Amino acid sequence: MGALKNIILVENNFLLRSGIEGLILELPGLLLKEVFDGKEKNLYRKLINKKPDVIIIDPNALGHNFISIISKLQEEAGIMLIGLLGSDCPENISSRFKNHLPLEGNKHLLLQKLREACGKDAVYPTNKKTQADSRLLSAREIDILREVVKGLTNQDIADNLFLSIHTVMTHRKNISRKLSIKTVSGLMVYALMNNIVDINEMG
Amino acid sequence: MLIVREMKLADVIHHDYNLVPVINRFDISLGFGDGTIREICEERDVNVEFFLSILNTFHDVQYFPKDYLKSFPVSLIINYLRKAHSYYSDEKIPEIKLLISKLIRLSGKNNKTLNLISNFFNDYCNEFAAHLLREETIVYPYVLSLEKALAEKNDNGLVDMELMKYSITTYEADHEDVEEKLFDMKSLMIKYLPLESSDNLMFEEISYSLLRELFVLEKELSEHSRIEDLILVPKVEGMEKHYKSGR
Repeated sequence: MGALKNIILVENNFLLRSGIEGLILELPGLLLKEVFDGKEKNLYRKLINKKPDVIIIDPNALGHNFISIISKLQEEAGIMLIGLLGSDCPENISSRFKNHLPLEGNKHLLLQKLREACGKDAVYPTNKKTQADSRLLSAREIDILREVVKGLTNQDIADNLFLSIHTVMTHRKNISRKLSIKTVSGLMVYALMNNIVDINEMG
Repeated sequence: MLIVREMKLADVIHHDYNLVPVINRFDISLGFGDGTIREICEERDVNVEFFLSILNTFHDVQYFPKDYLKSFPVSLIINYLRKAHSYYSDEKIPEIKLLISKLIRLSGKNNKTLNLISNFFNDYCNEFAAHLLREETIVYPYVLSLEKALAEKNDNGLVDMELMKYSITTYEADHEDVEEKLFDMKSLMIKYLPLESSDNLMFEEISYSLLRELFVLEKELSEHSRIEDLILVPKVEGMEKHYKSGR
């Protein structure tokens, strides 16, 4: 279980908010990073700035801003959107979400849905192979890491390794996820510790 | 729990002992006796409303201090934030550094990982210090001169054109990277700190204290930025609106 998933919740109803927080606490591997009540100014920016893996949204919390915010979020690759939806939720709203948490569900069902939506591997590694895969850096990721800790930009790394900048970013995201290390200087410590780079290579 | 003025302060501390450093910033130390919050504040000339809003913000993530916002001068907030800053830089950070140096002593100078972690924390400290300095030398003086200018404007209608150019939103707390570094430090310790020592029991004990201090600091800092975001920023935004409109 190398993958700590960052979750953001958008919910204005106190009881629901507390309930969801309780569910998230039950699943190791999930981390509730922040809760918004949906009425914040520039909410879309604030959500994106937190770099979440998953956003759980109650459409009611967004009110009439729902469509504008959800449309922008849908275009963000790499963010899983989960709708907190009642059974009476109209199709044009529910269809915006790939994953649903049904308001009427019992605890078991809700935990299961949440686990599925966040990726089972994040919560329970399914077998030994995926466990190793989700923990160890691949050879390519180690190449990227070596470049990152030299202080190179994504563009430089892409040029040096003949990759697209998008691929570099995906690799970087996976590296941080596997290691639970987010900053370049943290990665540098990891790389030095594991002899991936030599102290003399550092500027 | 909503903390209110007629509660005994001792009961509040029983309920949430994390508030001890917070009351210290109001010059209230342990051994304060049986008084209610109101009584203790009156004795020491502490603004009760402000005291309550700080305690509640710190104690309860869900708390939003709307009602109290307008009732106390912004200089009180600044004063509080400054005290919190010196608590972090004069007490918490040195404590952590001391623990790290104890670990290094226990494991001998050649523990590469430990040295790397130690350097990483020193970098973090420098960055953190720069962040605090920016607030103390730019943000706080701006807020205080805005408060002064607002009083003068009410007296004689004069407006300081320099102040008109700035806004608190430009400075809205940028804690992200500092927070991430602290998180990384915990990750590195939890996963990669090697046990290399002449006294393993002592080493484990001290690593545990160190990790606990990191968690405490992280929590403190997130409460601190919540106080800035929920109390200082809205208050100053209100002042700016007042200052820049209807000259």
